[in-house]
Amino acid sequence: MITLWHYLAVAAALFGIGLVGFLTRRNLITMFLCAEMMLQGVAINLVAFARFHGNLSGQVFALFVLAVAACEAGIALALFIMLYRRGKSLDASTWQGLRELGVGPTVDDEALSPAAPEEEMPVLTPAGRKPEEEALRV
Amino acid sequence: MSNPVLMALIILGLPLAAAIAAALMNGTALRKLAHWPLIFGCGTAAVLALMLLSDIGSLPGKSIAYSYTPETWFAAGKLKVNFSITVDPLSCIMLATVTFIATFIAIFSSGYMHDDPGFARYFAVMSLFVFSMCGLVLANNFILLVGFWEGVGVCSYLLVGYYFAKPSAAAAARKAFLVTRLGDTGLLLGIFLLWKLGGWHTDLTAIFEYIHQHPPATGELTTACLLLFCGAVGKSAQFPLYVWLPDAMEGPTPVSALIHAATMVTAGVYLVARCAPLFVLAPDAAVTISWIGGITAILAAFIALAQNDLKRVLAYSTVSQLGYMFMALGTIGAVDPTFAVTAAVFHLFTHAFFKALLFLAAGSVMHAMGNVIDMTRFGGLRKLMPRTHITFLCGAAALAGLPLLSGFWSKDMILESLMLGSQHSAQYASAYYTVLLISLATVAMTAFYTFRAYFLTFWGPERIPEEAGHHAHESPSVMTIPLIVLAVGAVFVGIAVEPFNHLFSDFLERTPSLALASHLFHGRAGSHGFDWALAGVGTLLAVGGVVVAGLMYGRGGPEALPAILEPIWFASRRKLWVDELYYALFVKPAEVLAFLAKPFDGVLDALSRLISYVPQFLGQALRPVQNGLVQFYALSMVLGLAVFVSFVVFRITR
Repeated sequence: MITLWHYLAVAAALFGIGLVGFLTRRNLITMFLCAEMMLQGVAINLVAFARFHGNLSGQVFALFVLAVAACEAGIALALFIMLYRRGKSLDASTWQGLRELGVGPTVDDEALSPAAPEEEMPVLTPAGRKPEEEALRV
Repeated sequence: MSNPVLMALIILGLPLAAAIAAALMNGTALRKLAHWPLIFGCGTAAVLALMLLSDIGSLPGKSIAYSYTPETWFAAGKLKVNFSITVDPLSCIMLATVTFIATFIAIFSSGYMHDDPGFARYFAVMSLFVFSMCGLVLANNFILLVGFWEGVGVCSYLLVGYYFAKPSAAAAARKAFLVTRLGDTGLLLGIFLLWKLGGWHTDLTAIFEYIHQHPPATGELTTACLLLFCGAVGKSAQFPLYVWLPDAMEGPTPVSALIHAATMVTAGVYLVARCAPLFVLAPDAAVTISWIGGITAILAAFIALAQNDLKRVLAYSTVSQLGYMFMALGTIGAVDPTFAVTAAVFHLFTHAFFKALLFLAAGSVMHAMGNVIDMTRFGGLRKLMPRTHITFLCGAAALAGLPLLSGFWSKDMILESLMLGSQHSAQYASAYYTVLLISLATVAMTAFYTFRAYFLTFWGPERIPEEAGHHAHESPSVMTIPLIVLAVGAVFVGIAVEPFNHLFSDFLERTPSLALASHLFHGRAGSHGFDWALAGVGTLLAVGGVVVAGLMYGRGGPEALPAILEPIWFASRRKLWVDELYYALFVKPAEVLAFLAKPFDGVLDALSRLISYVPQFLGQALRPVQNGLVQFYALSMVLGLAVFVSFVVFRITR
């Protein structure tokens, strides 16, 4: 018999894993995924309590959480792309400029492994006939 | 236009609108046109005021007043302050004088100030000045009156310090403000005392009525009256607070004309005239006013004898003439108050004409002489500036009180009131007689110094200072036309309205507060016909003064004094050392006190600085926490949440 307790345990586990991941990993995308995981843990809680109490308000809440999380994902990923373009890195600790004046930057003791050189990606050959330049110049 | 209150409100509103318009023009391309709002606003107000005058004059009835209380300003407990104004003959005459004189001063100023960088600022403050004065004479509430009273003070500060980059002008403005402030303190205390004595009213008419019904102890009322008079002493530049007025010459000359003729200094005279029903019950206060007026008149006349600065001569003459008005007001307790007030207000009225004229003429001289006003450096200007010369002569003759000119009639009325006071006063006959003698001596001195200034400026060989350059010329007609209008006023306004047809006194005696004062007056009224003997003595003295001045200075040029007069001239030129005395008695001790207080101030500063270090230290300690690392923030949030949650959980489950 699966009781409320089981659901709450799963939710807590998800939340805890997300939390630990968020605090320990420095890759922005990983951190974002961990944050999502925490959200899902909370959503499970809400749904479980909704079932437990026999009403729908918890589920509605969970749906809202999902919708907000989707928006958030869109914005966050866009931001990550911009950050990557500026700093060529996804390391969260690259971005520590918003600190108090006079406080020095926090520097990592152990050097990161150097980024792998960008691999030559295969390029798709253009399909079809090359459009004629005269035709284009209408 | 039948509603006097509406007309009065329009008259009040026009200068305010002009002030706002001129202020808005400042800094725009229109700033060269900033004189038009004042000229138009004030001119329209003057026309309306004259219409109001004729309206009120043609009404039947023994006493005329229109009161209007639109709104309560504020109320707290027993204190209730209304925006109440009253239109009665006294305030009408003041309104007409103020707006009429101010209009011509405005026209003159537009020529005098024509290429000044602060043109718009000048006209904005001038308009505000006229507005404050109109409000002052219309207010029927003591607190409202004080508001406009202070407005007048602020405007005088701004205008005296108009050339604020000049240290002496800034100092003069400060002095004017602080010295009048001393008197204002007395005024406020007097108003508080009257509030208590007058049945917790603040409206003037209500206080008068209450005090008429329930006369308070004489001692208290005398105190209140003297405190009110303190305010008048400060504003109207009476001894011992007259020192600011001569220094106020630092402002532009038309400002001096406005301050001396129409606004500001007449406020004190108006206040005492308005409060005649109180002073009539306090004869001790009244006789003090006479004394102060007498002392001021002769002291200022003495100082004016040997001044070399044309404007300063005129300034001291204003102080002296205001002394005359107060001498007359001081007889409120001894003769019929209506007569005393009429004498003072009539002198105020005529004085406004000839003093504005004299100042504007002095400004015209100064304009031509390249801002030189020292009479030892120019002379013989009668050929160069014929219009200024003739108009100045009219003003000087009126000020000296030569027969048939306006100054003669009003001065004669004042002498007459003093004479009646010395004849009819029960307690103070000898005091009024002494003041009368003082005033007669001052008549001679006035004639002398006025014509000394006239001869030094316009007679003798022609001398022009080098500052004037080659363009020493008669002023443009925008400046001389106001002079001519005012000169006509200075010559004819006195004879036109009082000595033969009694228009002025008949008009003024219908003021309800004066009627109340006369009702409260218990002494013998005495007849006041034209006193030939007194007028003859006054005329003799005035003509004597003119003749002596003519003998001594008729050839113009530098002064050649008999040796016997040297020390007197020296004392007069040094202004009897009053400024030095005040410096030693008041300014120096204050400076010493300030010097002694400085270390104490340092201790206080150190203490407050110490307190300010505490948050600084806290901030310094907490600063490293904000290191910009997202994950560090997240960790601190989690830790904080953990502490909070465990607190809640363990407290609740236990």
